[in-house]
Amino acid sequence: MTQVSFAERDYTLSTGVLRVRSGGAGRPLIHLHSAAGPRVSPVIECLAQSHRVHAPFMPGFEGMPAHPGVDSVQKLAGVVAEFITKECGGSCDVMGESFGGWIAMWLAILYPQTVGQLVLEAPAGLRPRELGGLPQDPAERFKKLHAHPGRAPKETRSDAVLAANRKTASALLEALPFDHALAERLGEIQSRTLVLIGTLDGIIPAESARLAKANIPHSHLTFIWDAAHALEFDQPGRVGALALDFLDRGESFLVKQGAA
Amino acid sequence: MHFSFFHLMPWTDLDEAPTQWPARNGAFSGPRGTEFYKTYIDTMAHAEDCGFDWVGCNEHHFSPYSLMSNPNLIGGALTQRTKSIKLAMLGNLLPLLNPVRVAEEYAMLDVMSGGRLIAGFVRGIPHEYIAYNISPDESRGRMREALNIILKAWTEPEPFGWEGEYYQYRSISIWPRPHQTPHPRILLSASNKESAQFVGQFPAMVGLTLIADLDIARGLIDTYRESAREHGRNPGPDDILIGQGTCIADTDEEAEEHMAKGLAYFHRVLMRPQQDAQRIVIQKTRFFGEGSSGAGAGEYFVKRLETLKQRGIKEQIEAGTILCGSPQTVIKQIKRLRQHLGAGHINMNMKLGSTPESVVYKSMQLFRDKVLPEVRHL
Repeated sequence: MTQVSFAERDYTLSTGVLRVRSGGAGRPLIHLHSAAGPRVSPVIECLAQSHRVHAPFMPGFEGMPAHPGVDSVQKLAGVVAEFITKECGGSCDVMGESFGGWIAMWLAILYPQTVGQLVLEAPAGLRPRELGGLPQDPAERFKKLHAHPGRAPKETRSDAVLAANRKTASALLEALPFDHALAERLGEIQSRTLVLIGTLDGIIPAESARLAKANIPHSHLTFIWDAAHALEFDQPGRVGALALDFLDRGESFLVKQGAA
Repeated sequence: MHFSFFHLMPWTDLDEAPTQWPARNGAFSGPRGTEFYKTYIDTMAHAEDCGFDWVGCNEHHFSPYSLMSNPNLIGGALTQRTKSIKLAMLGNLLPLLNPVRVAEEYAMLDVMSGGRLIAGFVRGIPHEYIAYNISPDESRGRMREALNIILKAWTEPEPFGWEGEYYQYRSISIWPRPHQTPHPRILLSASNKESAQFVGQFPAMVGLTLIADLDIARGLIDTYRESAREHGRNPGPDDILIGQGTCIADTDEEAEEHMAKGLAYFHRVLMRPQQDAQRIVIQKTRFFGEGSSGAGAGEYFVKRLETLKQRGIKEQIEAGTILCGSPQTVIKQIKRLRQHLGAGHINMNMKLGSTPESVVYKSMQLFRDKVLPEVRHL
């Protein structure tokens, strides 16, 4: 794998400034981060080998100001839709990680023309209140995020940034673990969708992934063995290869390819 | 207590022990093989009439030791020959097989039998890995992952893919699903501490066989129970199955004589060819795990087989390896096992080595008429 450099750039949208980390060359791909905020994971590096990956910093995350009036997941989806329309030729594939998966689903419902194929990694927004959830205790939270602690990224961000990320995310996640409006409209998603869930995920239960699979018309569900919630760090090889194959071959990814 | 009638389906026409692994098959005869299958399936179906709760099959490869390279085929035949007895596959050698195929075949057996399948999964004995060219080093990892795939295949309501270390599937949705919900009862074997801990992690019965020492067996059962409790389950006696070579005759002397002859053939002929292959796998691979604990488990495995081979009948009875004697004697032996091991299920192998069918049928009859009425309530 060749080294890909990522650069950050601010885009002025109708609601405010959107910072986007981009890298790689090829078809554009939007990567929507989890509640932990934007990080360059080995999966993003893998995807950037063949895609131009854009990873927006959602408003309110990573020290970026919130956009006035952007106070819901649907409105965050609107921000992403405007970025795709203006900077990605109107449409591209989208990959959403947990909280980012929730945004991605609304993006595909509200702005279907902007989304090609969709990859949802342990998507939030469909969690029955009695199952899973993000523990408040940092040690417990880390344990539930990572089945392989040694593969977790080294944290370089300040406590203030991390606290702000948590505050922004929890305002949405805790207020609405199960987004009934989303659940009712999953059938409107027309994008071919791959839903991934770790076999050891204690934050987003398998029920959420099953619900997405059962209701999104052209969807596939794959269990990632020996992975907790942070799929991109616990099993980067499996997630990266699978996502890439799906994005490259669409529904043909179901068929194993012979050796070239 | 519950009882199972177990069969290995041995080839008993050899005069000389094959000396190499795999055993050369030049001496095999098709017509004789057909006779063996008919005889053995008749015997296994007869177990239902003798009050057994289960009839058990298992899987072995490349040896006269067993004609059941795919026990599920025998299970399929038994679905049509029996009405109420449970069909125990004890079990498929899971790390050697395609787990989706196993999930499918077991589901078929469960549906064909009206929900009578006991789904056994075993890691197998070391030399079997040579037959299907699977690395013994991977046996535990494959076992764990394959078992999880099968549980998902039986219970997931939506088609699903699997991205794992040893197995990758893009979409699984088996037809039929099992008759029993959420799935058939599962049995996993344990022959050392690591495997006993492993079994406790699953909603499964534990099976122990070739017991060489009652205290060691008790220790493994305790380890299984402890592991199960850590995973939120509290196994009872009916979750513990122990395998026992069994011969019941009118007198102790007669039973011991039959048992001695059968075991002599078993050890001298049927077990002979795999010895070298077994030694290679144990010494040159990590089948039993890493480091000193792995080496210890390997040594224990070899020593246990060697010990069993050298022991006389009375010593094997004392060690809890076999049940042998008149009905009254066997009743006492069963009560002792029940008390010492807390096991609520005994898996009886009455066709030991070359034991004649007449002796097997006599054992079955005495079990039904004299033994079972005295031990069922235990």
